[in-house]
Amino acid sequence: MATLPTYALAALFLPLFPLSIVFNRGLSALRRDWMRALVLLVWPQAGVWILSHAHGAPPGWLNVWAALTALLYAYRALAVREAGIWIGFVAVSAWALLWADPARSHLLAIQALGLSLPLAVAVLVTGVLERRFGAAHTALRLGLATTAPRLAALFVIAILAVVATPVFSNFFVLVAAVARQAPVMPAMALTVLAVWILWAWSGARLVRGMVAGPGRPAAGADLTPAAAWAYAVLFVGLAGAGISVGGLLL
Amino acid sequence: MTRASGRHLGIRATAYVAGEPVPFFWPMRSFIHHNPLHGLEHLPFAQAVERGGALFHANGFLPRARYQAYLADGSVDRHALAGEIDAFAASHPVAGIDLSAWARVLLEQVSAPICRPSPLVAPEQVHRVLRGQPVETLLDGAAMARAHLQAELLGARPVYDAVDALFATGIGEALDDQVVRACLGFFDEGQSVWGMPDREKGFFAAWRAVAGRRVRAFLDRIETGGPPLSPEQVIDHVMRSLDVPEHLWAGCFTQELVRLHGWAGFIRWRASATHYHWAERHPADLVDLLAVRLTLARLLLTERARPPAPRDRGDLERLIESRPEETFLRFDLHGGGILPAMAHRVEAGLARGGAGIGPLFESYIQAKRDAAVRAQARALRDLAERAGEGAALNRLGVAEVAALIAALRDLEADEGMIWLRAMEAKAMNRLLDGISLEPPPRRDKRPFVQAAFCIDTRSERIRRHLESVGDYQTFGIAGFFGVPVSLIELGKGSETHLCPVLLSPKNLVLEMSSIERSDEAAMTTLGRAMHKLKESVLSPFVTVEAIGLLFGFDMIGKTVAPRAYHGWRRQMDTPRPNTHLLLDKLSREQADSIVRAVQRAVITEAVAHELGLEPEAITDDIVRELREAALGNADLDTDLAVALSVGETRLREIVMRLRTTYRINASFAEFQMEQLGRIGFSLEEQVGFVRQALSSIGLTEDFSRLILLVGHGSSSENNPYESALDCGACGGNHGLTSARVLAQMANKPEVRRRLAERGIPIPDDAWFVPAMHNTTTDEIRLYDLELLPTMHLVYLDRLRAGLTSAARLCAQERLPSLDVTADRHDPGAAFRGTRRNALDWSQVRPEWGLARNAYFIIGRRFLTQSLGLDGRAFLHSYDYRVDTRGRLLENILAGPLVVGQWINMEHYFSAVDNDRFGAGSKAYHNVAGRLGVMTGNLGDLRTGLPAQTVLDKGAPYHQPLRLITVIEAPVDQARAAIDHVVAVKRLVRNGWVRMVIVDPVTAITHIYDESGWVQRPVAHAVREELIAS
Repeated sequence: MATLPTYALAALFLPLFPLSIVFNRGLSALRRDWMRALVLLVWPQAGVWILSHAHGAPPGWLNVWAALTALLYAYRALAVREAGIWIGFVAVSAWALLWADPARSHLLAIQALGLSLPLAVAVLVTGVLERRFGAAHTALRLGLATTAPRLAALFVIAILAVVATPVFSNFFVLVAAVARQAPVMPAMALTVLAVWILWAWSGARLVRGMVAGPGRPAAGADLTPAAAWAYAVLFVGLAGAGISVGGLLL
Repeated sequence: MTRASGRHLGIRATAYVAGEPVPFFWPMRSFIHHNPLHGLEHLPFAQAVERGGALFHANGFLPRARYQAYLADGSVDRHALAGEIDAFAASHPVAGIDLSAWARVLLEQVSAPICRPSPLVAPEQVHRVLRGQPVETLLDGAAMARAHLQAELLGARPVYDAVDALFATGIGEALDDQVVRACLGFFDEGQSVWGMPDREKGFFAAWRAVAGRRVRAFLDRIETGGPPLSPEQVIDHVMRSLDVPEHLWAGCFTQELVRLHGWAGFIRWRASATHYHWAERHPADLVDLLAVRLTLARLLLTERARPPAPRDRGDLERLIESRPEETFLRFDLHGGGILPAMAHRVEAGLARGGAGIGPLFESYIQAKRDAAVRAQARALRDLAERAGEGAALNRLGVAEVAALIAALRDLEADEGMIWLRAMEAKAMNRLLDGISLEPPPRRDKRPFVQAAFCIDTRSERIRRHLESVGDYQTFGIAGFFGVPVSLIELGKGSETHLCPVLLSPKNLVLEMSSIERSDEAAMTTLGRAMHKLKESVLSPFVTVEAIGLLFGFDMIGKTVAPRAYHGWRRQMDTPRPNTHLLLDKLSREQADSIVRAVQRAVITEAVAHELGLEPEAITDDIVRELREAALGNADLDTDLAVALSVGETRLREIVMRLRTTYRINASFAEFQMEQLGRIGFSLEEQVGFVRQALSSIGLTEDFSRLILLVGHGSSSENNPYESALDCGACGGNHGLTSARVLAQMANKPEVRRRLAERGIPIPDDAWFVPAMHNTTTDEIRLYDLELLPTMHLVYLDRLRAGLTSAARLCAQERLPSLDVTADRHDPGAAFRGTRRNALDWSQVRPEWGLARNAYFIIGRRFLTQSLGLDGRAFLHSYDYRVDTRGRLLENILAGPLVVGQWINMEHYFSAVDNDRFGAGSKAYHNVAGRLGVMTGNLGDLRTGLPAQTVLDKGAPYHQPLRLITVIEAPVDQARAAIDHVVAVKRLVRNGWVRMVIVDPVTAITHIYDESGWVQRPVAHAVREELIAS
């Protein structure tokens, strides 16, 4: 396979700016949350597959480009007020980090899955919000903590998962990346940490906008206890998957 | 008066008027229950709630779903509710439908409002949708947007608030934070180790001195090298620079003040308080607060409002006028009203700006209108189906649909009052159905014990149980027993006012002990040392490492076994000695003698200090001569200089220092005489107070051997709200001292002799015993027993047994409402449970306090004796037969009833909107400046009651009702008393209390309704001949 076109194609599926626009537009266009979750799981795997069939490691400038893409989208996520778009930005930022770690390409698919799993679950939670409130946007001033406490808890856990808190899979992916790159590419390790901090910051802003403050109580806004338990089980499963991924990577 | 000073007076007056809707906030150490809408009591209740709701951004009624839950559990009178709905329907006729049926279904079956006012919902469009036709295009969206924005943003709303609403600049939040920081620094009452400097210069001046560089530069700029501007001048300058028309200033100031209404209420109270130590030392008023706020607001606007955001009102007006579409979109996006499906699109469109805004607005306004109209039509259709009127809805024309929507909007605006009145009807019926006018049979012997309790609702339970365990007769009286007194407690130098805040005590009582003060116990000293270490700036860093473990033991003890640990700790502390109260007036000679003694002691100390003489060298003669010289009564003697071994010049210096530094002078001696004149009560005053107290409760004959005067207070750990659980009639303090004062007066033979002359014969063997009811544990302890006549000691065991039994039964009744796991059949376990609550530092709800208060009953005990009132009633004993002129009743109405109404309203509003009118959860509270609490580390002072006091698992534990007040008296007498007390007359007429008069002569109940007095017969009645006429 010719190398440059391969990388160009890979840059579509492990999106690098400006090809990332295609992914984000496409993700926003999908109406059903399960389809978005599926895309979040499959899309980077396609990129990994393409990348694995390229000859040799990507050139250095491409790594720098990927790092800049990760930083750019992490930074842009700070200003985003719509949860679905925020997930898309974090996804682009996360997958771009995979470019910088070609040394263990045999685990690249696991790393991609580890980054995607929390995003896919979070997009399902966002779907719940969209169905109930029409959108998952901080401008709606939902005040979930008071109006829908179970949904608020679910949303907070989903955001915590996306910003790579322990024991979710992306946490182990990032820890492994920092641990491997710190001795050989300290600048790249610092970039990963900077990206990570930006995710956490933007996640906190989103949580503040959606969860805190007064809201308008509406009947049936909150999840039923049964649904809340079902999502709790999903998150336990996600945490279990995270630990498994951690076992493979560390 | 110059024009400038006249203008400043005008600003001061405007600020004063603007602050009137903000309720006072008293420091929490003497928590005063108050009506958060006290400033609006001149309005009818419904209007005041509406106005207060708009001012404080709060709800004045519960959400409909909560009232529906009350309806389901039987707390709402269905008949009354139906009557209210029918009356409403009759006043809002809509042709073609049964509006009563619609209204009933709406209130009882639909959980949320369906007809919110909206400029987008036009009835003709709703009619079209009901006919299955599409919504028509809005032709002049820009005009609608302009009108809407002008109404929302161009009233008295502060400019920065409007800018925040349009550009999400967060100026208001930042401003509040900075003002709170300034308030915390200035108003601190000893919590901070490092205080703000120059506080004696006033709030604005002190804040300005420590404010940041930007503030100083701003003020320097407007002063243009002249002298510092006064707060009024700063306000004037800023309001002009913001381009706010002068006729809007008062409204603007009010809006500014209510943003932090806790701090504003505290400053307002503080500025009006007399003899408040901190206010005298560090003066401040609302003008200072406004000057600080407006200065910061101006600065933040300049810094954060980047174009196109406006920086003054003129800019804002022009923005709305010239770009209504964009401004409307911004307002919806940042104001929370955005159409969810278009939120992101609007956000992106506004970010892009330019020519795309117009089409975006057109599509947005159309979509929003479409959604609003369809939602309205859907809601009407759903309501019609539920009411069985679907076909009728189909037949309605445009005019009828418009009338229907208008009627339903009015109904939803009025529904709070409808529900409230129906709930009150239920509570009123329950009370009136149980009231009895049948007096008890005449007794052939006097009761074993008579006990006067505070009118507090918590006394109702203990009184009922005490009456059930033996021959006890109980009475209710305001907990200060009618004696307004100021106390200087043993070991303290400041006065505590023991009376309702409506009164100012004239008389001072000293608490004294004959026991010599010994050194503090080791634990007390250690505790103080720990506190010092914790409060210091640097020592906490090492303290934690060095002795942190000790705190760990303390925590484990308090948490795991609070009762045992507390008992152990109590043994370590110094026990409080028995004390006496100095209650009698001093004669002129006695006061003079005290002043002389104090002067001599001061001169002895002064001479020893100034000249370094030993005590034996300072003879009485020297002291006398120095005193006479200092007071100007005698010239200096040369022998005196010799005796003191100083020259004449030095002697003159010493005398001068005695006059100035040590205040041995005639004017200060006069001041001391005045102060001493406040101590105690004259004999005539004592007779008057005892007579007034006994007459007001109808206890003028048939005295038993023991008459308990039971004050009350609470005990809890780690609770900034502790004083809220104490006696409100004693200014938020324990009521024991008031009980001791009255008992001491009533036990005096000379007082009794004069009382007998005035028709109150107290037998020689009757003895008044002060006691203390701990409302957290229900224990009643007797005090001053060392004064009890020996013959009475034989009755003590029986009395104590009775009190203990009543306490255990009361705990058994009360504890299940605090702890659902409590054993309902074991009084002993319940009693232990309540004591644990009092000592458990993790307990956020040691007792329910006055929650669920609903009734205020003024009458004889038999009126409600057979009726268990679940601790919901203030019970004030009153016998109209001994109140021929109605003065006693007027006093009860003017004092206890008004305080009861404050308590009731504070509970009402804290229950209906705990976030805004209440204090939120205690769990997040931090003490601020030792004067109040804040939620989190920075915020407004929380003014109302915490969630743990009025809510249970998020739902109201306190049923929010207006105080149902019952007076047992002939109707003319009662109405005359109400009319004579203007404050109460206003409360009754404006519906802040529900007034009921039970006439024992005619056996007819008179209920004041909005339209006047209505009558109904008393269920259990024996008509009584009118004795007093």
